[in-house]
Amino acid sequence: MKYDNKPLADPLLVLREEFDDWAILFDPDTGDSFGLNPVSVFIFKHLDGRHTLQSIMTELLDKCEDAPDDAEQYVRDFIDDLVERGFAGYALGAEVNAL
Amino acid sequence: MTMDNRLTHMRVMKTPKSVDLSITNRCNLRCSYCYHFTSESESGTDLPTQEWLRFFEELNRCAVMDVTIAGGEPFMREDLKELIEGVVRNRMRFSILSNGTLITDEMAAFIAATGRCNSVQISIDGSFPGSHDAFRGEGNFARAVAGLKHLQNHHIPVTVRVTIHRHNVSDLEEIARFLLEELKLPGFSTNAASYAGLCRTFSDEVQLTVDERSLAMETLLRLDNKYEGRIGAQAGPLAEARYWLEMERARKENRDPMTDCGYLRSCGGGFSKMAVRADGEMVPCTQMSHIELGRINRDDLAEVWITHSELIRLRDRRDISLNDFESCQECEYIPYCRGYCPAMAYTIMGQENHPSPDACLKLFLEAGGRLPEQV
Repeated sequence: MKYDNKPLADPLLVLREEFDDWAILFDPDTGDSFGLNPVSVFIFKHLDGRHTLQSIMTELLDKCEDAPDDAEQYVRDFIDDLVERGFAGYALGAEVNAL
Repeated sequence: MTMDNRLTHMRVMKTPKSVDLSITNRCNLRCSYCYHFTSESESGTDLPTQEWLRFFEELNRCAVMDVTIAGGEPFMREDLKELIEGVVRNRMRFSILSNGTLITDEMAAFIAATGRCNSVQISIDGSFPGSHDAFRGEGNFARAVAGLKHLQNHHIPVTVRVTIHRHNVSDLEEIARFLLEELKLPGFSTNAASYAGLCRTFSDEVQLTVDERSLAMETLLRLDNKYEGRIGAQAGPLAEARYWLEMERARKENRDPMTDCGYLRSCGGGFSKMAVRADGEMVPCTQMSHIELGRINRDDLAEVWITHSELIRLRDRRDISLNDFESCQECEYIPYCRGYCPAMAYTIMGQENHPSPDACLKLFLEAGGRLPEQV
């Protein structure tokens, strides 16, 4: 099966955002929960099957001041980690439109 | 300070993380110390299925992570499976509080198959029928144990709550043996029949005397030591024994005030959790069902959570100093005391923003109570 590079979060996961812009990512099937910092929350909310890594990076850099040089690697690692844990996958290219 | 900043400062969540649901007023038992019956949580007609299912969708939108399903007796509801399916469909996990007597093998299989059950808590108050059934009705020990075994057979996490009263306070050693050795539970928790609901009517027959309370504290500490921490408590004799011994040590050593002490800060309710009565009224806590916050499916949960004046009043309780109360004047334990449960304070004193006399160490000692020897 051919996949493109538009990550898509598992819709069964629960993202609990709090007033300080941090969030809890909760997997109701296992009861596991993880704390996400504001940058991770921003990324996670863009895992909608329509954004590529590049488009997420562009929007993120628009929002951030003084982003480190290795920001893209951070985003890539974070998404890879989510995919590895089964919290995200990749949308089928033919079914969604890139931004 | 903006409202958002203030709530962050107070560590209030944007929406409740957990919600306690009293899905029915009905129960097949009439236990003499039931907190539900004759209290404000006994609230008329049960909501129909569709009302609950619609509310679960709102809980999903609010990112609520888990619900506790209670009653009354939740297994009295004929539509319980449909309700649980609604909870699961809306990305939540669940726990159930039950007397255990109506749990069948088929129902246990259904619960296990959801994969979303955190635990089912069964009330078992004795090691033999006599001590359990004394206040829960004949035959109900055997039924509760049968229900528990169905849950165990399907590998559902089972917890047991032992409510300590005058008829089982001498049976604690056997209860611990029965639950931990014979039934092989990983642990169990304890509390005591407290002055709420039906217990107010049967207080003299049910509630521990000062001497019995001292005995329960000593026995439970010893048993918890014997069973290496497998006995838990958030209230009642074991919790009091642990906390009061710490308070006494702190007082004797003239230690600095303990964290969050000196104020009415014992209760974390209203910061991460709220409840819904069987008639659909939102309340701060099952034990504070007299404070009505709004109706589900009519009032917006997130808005009620953040803006309701009664919830704000309960949260602000944290800023009330124990020095403000006449009953606490010159008490040496103030730097180590958090004022205890607001629901018990309301039941006994008629106001939530007051220390609860029920769990006051000074009053316990003045009444002739004794702290256990350190284990």
